[in-house]
Amino acid sequence: MTAGDAKEAFRKNESGKRLSSIIANDYLTLHQRASEGAFVVWIAIIVPAEIFAGFDNVVYAVPESHAALCAGKGAGTVLCEKAEASGYSADLCSYARIDIGTVLGGGADSPTFGLPKPDLLVSNNNNCSLLVKWFDVHHRTWGVPHFVLDIPFCYENQGADDFAYIMAQFGGLIRTIEGLSGQKFNIDRAREAVRLSSLALQEWRRFLSFASHRPSGITAFDSFVQMAPILTSRGTGQLVEHFRLLADETKEQVENGIFPVPQERYRLLWDNIAPWHQLRKMSARLKHLGANITSASYTYCIGALEGRYEAYGYDGGDPLAWLARLQNFSVCPHGLNLRSKAMKEVIERNAIDGVVFASNRSCKVYSLMQMDQMKRIREELDIPCVMIDVDHADERKYSEEAAFTRLEALLEMIDAGRA
Amino acid sequence: MEGFADSLQAMKAKGRAVIGCFPLYPPLELLHSFGLTPVVLWGMEPGPAGLARSDRHIQPYACRVARCLTEFVLSPGYGLMDALFMYNACDTLRNLPEILEGALRERGRPLPVFRIHIPAVSLHREEAARYMEARIKGLIADLAAFTGRQFSEQAFLRSIRLYRRQRSLSRDLQIQAARGGLRFADFSEALMTACRLPVEDHVALLEKTLEKAGAASHGGGMDKRRAVMISGILPPPRGLIEAMEASGLVIAANDIAALARSCSSSAAESSDAAAYYTEFYRDHSPCPTILFSSDRRLEAIRDEVMRHDIRGVVFAGEKFCEYEYFEYPYLAGMLEEMGVRSLFIETGADGALSPDVYKTRIETFARMLDT
Repeated sequence: MTAGDAKEAFRKNESGKRLSSIIANDYLTLHQRASEGAFVVWIAIIVPAEIFAGFDNVVYAVPESHAALCAGKGAGTVLCEKAEASGYSADLCSYARIDIGTVLGGGADSPTFGLPKPDLLVSNNNNCSLLVKWFDVHHRTWGVPHFVLDIPFCYENQGADDFAYIMAQFGGLIRTIEGLSGQKFNIDRAREAVRLSSLALQEWRRFLSFASHRPSGITAFDSFVQMAPILTSRGTGQLVEHFRLLADETKEQVENGIFPVPQERYRLLWDNIAPWHQLRKMSARLKHLGANITSASYTYCIGALEGRYEAYGYDGGDPLAWLARLQNFSVCPHGLNLRSKAMKEVIERNAIDGVVFASNRSCKVYSLMQMDQMKRIREELDIPCVMIDVDHADERKYSEEAAFTRLEALLEMIDAGRA
Repeated sequence: MEGFADSLQAMKAKGRAVIGCFPLYPPLELLHSFGLTPVVLWGMEPGPAGLARSDRHIQPYACRVARCLTEFVLSPGYGLMDALFMYNACDTLRNLPEILEGALRERGRPLPVFRIHIPAVSLHREEAARYMEARIKGLIADLAAFTGRQFSEQAFLRSIRLYRRQRSLSRDLQIQAARGGLRFADFSEALMTACRLPVEDHVALLEKTLEKAGAASHGGGMDKRRAVMISGILPPPRGLIEAMEASGLVIAANDIAALARSCSSSAAESSDAAAYYTEFYRDHSPCPTILFSSDRRLEAIRDEVMRHDIRGVVFAGEKFCEYEYFEYPYLAGMLEEMGVRSLFIETGADGALSPDVYKTRIETFARMLDT
């Protein structure tokens, strides 16, 4: 198979088509069920959505995920500008500005026509505390109740006190929904959702594991795109099936010699949220340079405990306990030592040649440790690193040429190290 | 920054054990009761060397508070602290402890860092109160190990009284400033000095300042038509405050984290540290950094505006302080409905602007209040 054939074959990957269909259906179903009277909850991405499966008729929407979709579809700037025109600073997180802009515009310019109006807002402070401030904006505007989950930041692994505190808050959340919706929580249904989520995350790991193949069977860009249903279909059989097929298809492609960057010379790791407005452009330009960002902290953390790589499996016990233990999984809720530990493991596992630290103005909590982390990685693993400026959803704050000047310098450093 | 260093040097010369704290509302009484001298690393300005040390660790889109405190802690001449204390507030600050710990270790002068997580949900929630109690008990154990002293109820009560006195005097001074007994810039400076003085010295300073202000007060006979309130995480630079006063604005109230929000509330005396701090944070003067106080904040601002017959609010924005920034649009709308005008001014570490830059806007704003 020639490189051209491989490219064509990769483009025809069924998982991409299935993904589009899942996401479209998820948003349609959300709107439909909301219009039919379901109790609608807006959540921050780390809020454990499996809990909602324990109710007869509760649906959830994730403004961050919707904002990423808007940015990916090219609507980020126009929606940010709407929020800015209403007084929200351009220094605020672009996800928040897109979401506020979507609400202010009544869903116009959103590829999903926005999100159905919530009956309850549930935010938390583990990914970032300003999610609470952001959801407060809607709480004030609409007078909708706002439940906050307080998840202590992990400088070390989650402690027993923290775990107990989180568990108690889950109980409070369940009682709040019962009180507001008039529906009764059924833990067995939540248990089933947790079981399915755990299975899906194991398949997710299997998909990510192809990043260790040389050349890599995936790019981080694939993982950025494919993570979307984790936020819209959590706790469903559909998610398990999609990730199983995704991993199977990736395996088949690898076995058939089909790779996203067939002439792979540089294997890179990305640290930060995906640059949603640049996925296609950046991956194509990197591919032209023989570079593949094979792994990303943003996606390898999903389903693993803080500081670890392996998936944290569900043992069939208390489903809320599994959810509580995973509350610090994403990179932002844990500290420098834990972040570095997981990153080093991935660098070694996936034979990474260089690391791209994407310094993201819209996500201080992800970014403000990167300078020290970069120094550690450089010194302890002796691999080149570079920092580029991005904004995950506001294209106006990104300069492609400035970024690629540095990315090309990174590739030169890798070459120099090989000489 | 030099002012901070000089103050710390003076403390060290007297044999005090200094603990640098951030952010703004640490459990000062408890730290003090263990014989430590807490200083709050807040409101510093870049020194002559700029922020070069900070810039090696955190990006320039962090706020001035974080960058200046990082610079200060890492500056070689300022190695005057015996420990650091931090609690969770904003996303920027929660990333700092490991950065500072690592950087200090690298420089060969490691410092113990005490951290606690203060619940970000209402302490009326049983689980939050329970969690808070455990954190305070844990902190007490850590402080006992560090200082070699046991927790003393009597010492704690003495410390509480000192800080209550400090807050009470600060409130009195605030009243005098509103009455014209002292200029707002001087009032602001007198309170900000608390960050870098032992509480005993600060109390003495406040008493002296208050005495002078009382003598100069003109008893509420000020031009109320231009009564404004300033809101922000930090007081605006002195030049800006002076420009406001020169344009005829009367700063009758403030909603500044380092000023009114720090001194407006005190918990009841209690020898039970956990109970004291549960009440302290639960009922603290509303602040965007205390996440669960956000609904109360709207009411508090509304009340202050009505109580002082405020005609305009100047939002002194600290660049990159998202917590404050998320609330401005709603607050501005709320004030507009009340017939109160608002002006937004932004300052930050890299934007140390001349007051002339703001002058025209401030003068225009002052004239708008007349219409």
